[in-house]
Amino acid sequence: MPVTKVPGWHGIIAWDALLNGMATGLFLAAAVSELAAPGIFMRVAKVAYPVAFVLLIFDLGLLVLDLGDPLRFHHMLRVFKPSSPMSLGTWCLTIFSLPLTAAAALSLLAEVGWDFEWARILAVIVGLLPGFGSAAYKGVLLSTNAQPGWKDARWLGGYLTNSALVMGCGELLVLSAVMGQTQATAILRTAFIVLLVLNVIPLVLLFANLRPAHALLYTRDQQWRFGVLIAAGMLIPVGLMLLKGDLLFVLVAVIVLLAESWLIRFVYVKIPHTSPLEVRSGE
Amino acid sequence: MASREQELSALPQTSDPPRGPLSRLLAGVISPFLRGEPRGLVPEVLGRVIYPFLRGEAPKPQTPTGFYTDTTVCIGCKACEVACKQWNQLPSDGFEWTGNSYDNTTELSATTWRHVKFIEQFSLEPSTNIPSLDGASDESPLNRWLMMSDHCKHCLAAPCHQACPTGAIIQNEFENVYIQADICNGCSCCIAACPFGVITRSEMGGHSHKCTLCYDRQRDGLEPACAKACPTQSIHFGPVDELREQARKRVEQLHERGVPQAYLYGDVPSETYSEMHSFYLLVDRPSVYGLPDAPFNPWLHMMGDYVRSVAGGLAGIAVLLVVVFLLKR
Repeated sequence: MPVTKVPGWHGIIAWDALLNGMATGLFLAAAVSELAAPGIFMRVAKVAYPVAFVLLIFDLGLLVLDLGDPLRFHHMLRVFKPSSPMSLGTWCLTIFSLPLTAAAALSLLAEVGWDFEWARILAVIVGLLPGFGSAAYKGVLLSTNAQPGWKDARWLGGYLTNSALVMGCGELLVLSAVMGQTQATAILRTAFIVLLVLNVIPLVLLFANLRPAHALLYTRDQQWRFGVLIAAGMLIPVGLMLLKGDLLFVLVAVIVLLAESWLIRFVYVKIPHTSPLEVRSGE
Repeated sequence: MASREQELSALPQTSDPPRGPLSRLLAGVISPFLRGEPRGLVPEVLGRVIYPFLRGEAPKPQTPTGFYTDTTVCIGCKACEVACKQWNQLPSDGFEWTGNSYDNTTELSATTWRHVKFIEQFSLEPSTNIPSLDGASDESPLNRWLMMSDHCKHCLAAPCHQACPTGAIIQNEFENVYIQADICNGCSCCIAACPFGVITRSEMGGHSHKCTLCYDRQRDGLEPACAKACPTQSIHFGPVDELREQARKRVEQLHERGVPQAYLYGDVPSETYSEMHSFYLLVDRPSVYGLPDAPFNPWLHMMGDYVRSVAGGLAGIAVLLVVVFLLKR
């Protein structure tokens, strides 16, 4: 019987984990693609940075709102504590927000003729490391604790960071398809399929970690139904991408992937709250 | 009662002088706004922004102190609960008839930093035997009533301390784990990290609270209110080394008197958890008292979790790069 108290982390945290992955993943996918093949990806990357910026703003809003005292968010920045994943994450997000803002602003300025290409590329390069850190901390934060289920999720970080790249690649694929970037779409479509398949590995490992908790919480039927939903969320995008690479197929594939990603995060966040693991609430 | 709590959490800790030139400069900027009514939006915002970055003078380390709780002499009078509430000016939690023995407090919370647990161990069959701690006996061990005054364990390597991203949770000069209420922003990381379910976020103010080991009293050379009030000396307060020695003697004494199951919980570190500065003498499994049988510090996994997290991300980037390089021509 667990003796821990459950923190008041509910749906907001599931959305936060999703938006965090979408924002950082989109930035990383756009940055890596653009730096590797600027001629092919520059146009779509210039749209991706502002979109990533908007997603990050929503994510930061949720992070602030989830605090017991939102007006004290900046207290996170009074110390730097690598032993605290939340501290490391907050610093990464804060630092990441600066080059991302610059990259987004300079991308938009380029559209109106004020082109500071070298500064934009510099901002993108500077944003790579904190952007990666912002994607990587979330899983560690949600697994380094004493909560039933969460404390056993050794592969949550591996899954979430990898999933961020998959989602980012999917979002970039949608943008390139919308913009009619044929070559970029073709390359990203292949990358998306490979990444989707690769993402199965940490996902399976994560579910192996969570099996004892799930066995306590759910009946065999419920576990099967959930498993089928997750599998469909993986297989449908792969199937659609193998079939065709036009805008409709891309859009549906990415929407299904995002829905599946949200479901996984939501179910995970709910584990310690779910009877019979929840003995007492920490609120 | 609620307004009192708000009032307390809003109080700035100005007793420690600012340390370092930057802190002194910042303190000079906001000092006019720390006391009295706010004088408008700008000073209020300025005060709020700068205040958490001030640093006080670090007190000199003192002899580590803690609690040793001998559950065998606890009579469940709840004097400790009352003394804790009274000294720390914690509001009442209302009264709820739980039906669980004499326990109507139910749990530790942001407003209850001491909780007396009642564990009834009676067999269904009527028994005339009354278990006794004096002398060997062959009575059924199930016919007894265990009581235990629970509180923060003040762990030496406290997971809540490691988790806190604001630095609100500190180890003070007595090596006790202390939450600075004026710094805490209610992120709840400490609640998730504590394996004992001690810390709770208050609905009023949204900050985390728990036992301070009466830091204010200790600074004035007084013992904590609960230990002072305990009528059976179940709660002992003092230097941790002395408490351990005292507790071990008591265990030996109990063994000699026919209570071989007596043992200490948390007095020494285990492979997975540090020693606790508040430890217990128990006569049954820890889980019977609502304590984890083998507490585990989640931070033992952190490095491995980071490695897997980074590996997952790098694998994704590598795949993207390989595909881009292979197909770009």
